[in-house]
Amino acid sequence: MSPRVFWSVLSVEARKRLGYRADFWVQSFVGFVAEFGLVWFLWRAMYVESGRVAMGGLDLHGMVLYQVGVVLLGKLVRGPEIEGAVSQDIYDGSLSRYLLYPARYPVFKYAQHLGSLLPATVQLVLFGVWFPIALELPEGAGPLSLLAAVPAVLAGNLLYFLMSYGLQSVAFWAENVWSLLVALRLVTTILGGAMVPLAMFPGWARDALWFTPFPYLYAFPVDTLLGQVGPLAWARGIAVTLLWCSVTAAAGRAVFRRGTLQYSGVGM
Amino acid sequence: MTRYLRLYAHFVRFSLSRAMEFRFDFFFRVFMDGLWNVVNLLFFWLLFRHTTILGDWTFDQMVVFAAGFFIVDAVQMTFLSNNFWWFPHFVNRGDLDYYLVRPVSPLFFLSLREFAANSFLNLVIACGILVWSIARFPAPLPASAVLLYLALIALGCFLFYCVHMIFLIPVFWIHQGGGLRDLFWSFERYFSRPHRLFRGVVRLVLVTILPFGLMASVPAQVLFEGLTPALALHVAAVTACAFGFLAWFWRRGLRAYSSASS
Repeated sequence: MSPRVFWSVLSVEARKRLGYRADFWVQSFVGFVAEFGLVWFLWRAMYVESGRVAMGGLDLHGMVLYQVGVVLLGKLVRGPEIEGAVSQDIYDGSLSRYLLYPARYPVFKYAQHLGSLLPATVQLVLFGVWFPIALELPEGAGPLSLLAAVPAVLAGNLLYFLMSYGLQSVAFWAENVWSLLVALRLVTTILGGAMVPLAMFPGWARDALWFTPFPYLYAFPVDTLLGQVGPLAWARGIAVTLLWCSVTAAAGRAVFRRGTLQYSGVGM
Repeated sequence: MTRYLRLYAHFVRFSLSRAMEFRFDFFFRVFMDGLWNVVNLLFFWLLFRHTTILGDWTFDQMVVFAAGFFIVDAVQMTFLSNNFWWFPHFVNRGDLDYYLVRPVSPLFFLSLREFAANSFLNLVIACGILVWSIARFPAPLPASAVLLYLALIALGCFLFYCVHMIFLIPVFWIHQGGGLRDLFWSFERYFSRPHRLFRGVVRLVLVTILPFGLMASVPAQVLFEGLTPALALHVAAVTACAFGFLAWFWRRGLRAYSSASS
């Protein structure tokens, strides 16, 4: 697919996502405030009731920053994967249409997926600008860490898309894969350090988790944004994320190919 | 009443036979629901590695509370969630017409038509976790307190239904349910946290306007500390208000419905 077509698909999806403005603004503002409240009260109670100054190497301020980073970047990493665009194409037979297009199906869907990130990007910009004003940033965070976080988030987003793509391809055999997508979200959220920072896991679990793709979805991009990742660790993190991308892409392609062999275009 | 019970028995029978046709989905959903329980227990276990008390509760109390919200969640997943999912589609596609012309309450029909047999298994698992959490509780819990707790959990399920429907009904006016659904899911996470974590206005909101605190957290508080007349009155008043508002809002929504299909 040419970059021009890729961009065109992306922008059409982005415009579509902003079509229902009331819906978007309500979800953006109230949704963020709700999530921030949950984070703030939980961690405030943790620090106050335990009487501890630091947990997993983070004080309350650092923990709130980390969690807000997870809320904002997590939306960019996941995108609207729960809608199951690929599995929906398989169920309703609209996949046939895409198979005839002079463009590769996964690339086309990825362009749409990137376009659907626009609301989350607007949300990130809207609330992210208040970060340095409302909350004092940790040492190391600044324009350079923001720049370094962009490829980390993009790589994390691609990895999540590819994981979801493989699972959605199971729709060739199963009648409904929504549950698998929710399961993916649950597993990645807890093991990726989105619910609790990885530093609060037992040492053995923390070490083992860095050999899985999950920390590269949340912990790595957020730590990068907060300037907690050095240049070498950053380069290694990006390389490992891309390695996981190639593994999940190969697995997803294999499942999709097997599925298309028995696909009968139901609904067309 | 008998007619509605008979009708509901038909809903369950149809849903069961359909669930057996889609076996992959059946097992995927059982797996997903079980995983949700595991992730939540793991979350609290990780937190309690760094504190001995949270929201005024110990880990043992937190496990009982968690079992309570597993039950509320399993009830809504079994009896309501599929119906909630389809509701905005029915309104936007004009399919609501088919429900409005039937000689039963459309709210009853739309809310309970689909029964998720796969999640029913999760309800059984959630009940098992509750029994386990009470059995391992270090202090004896009187049977009367446990019964009262179960009654309050049942009331919590009803409140969950009312609040979720109230979040869905604006689709009659704004025609796009995605944002409100996501918004509800953002708020819904408050019901899986002890209400005493929250302070000031937020806690007040969570036990009145958005009563997520009354669904599982306050029942657990009653189990550990007993029920005062003031608290009983408060829970009854909030439940009555939530249902009254739902009924009024539903009627307003129906008046705004313009039937897209005909």
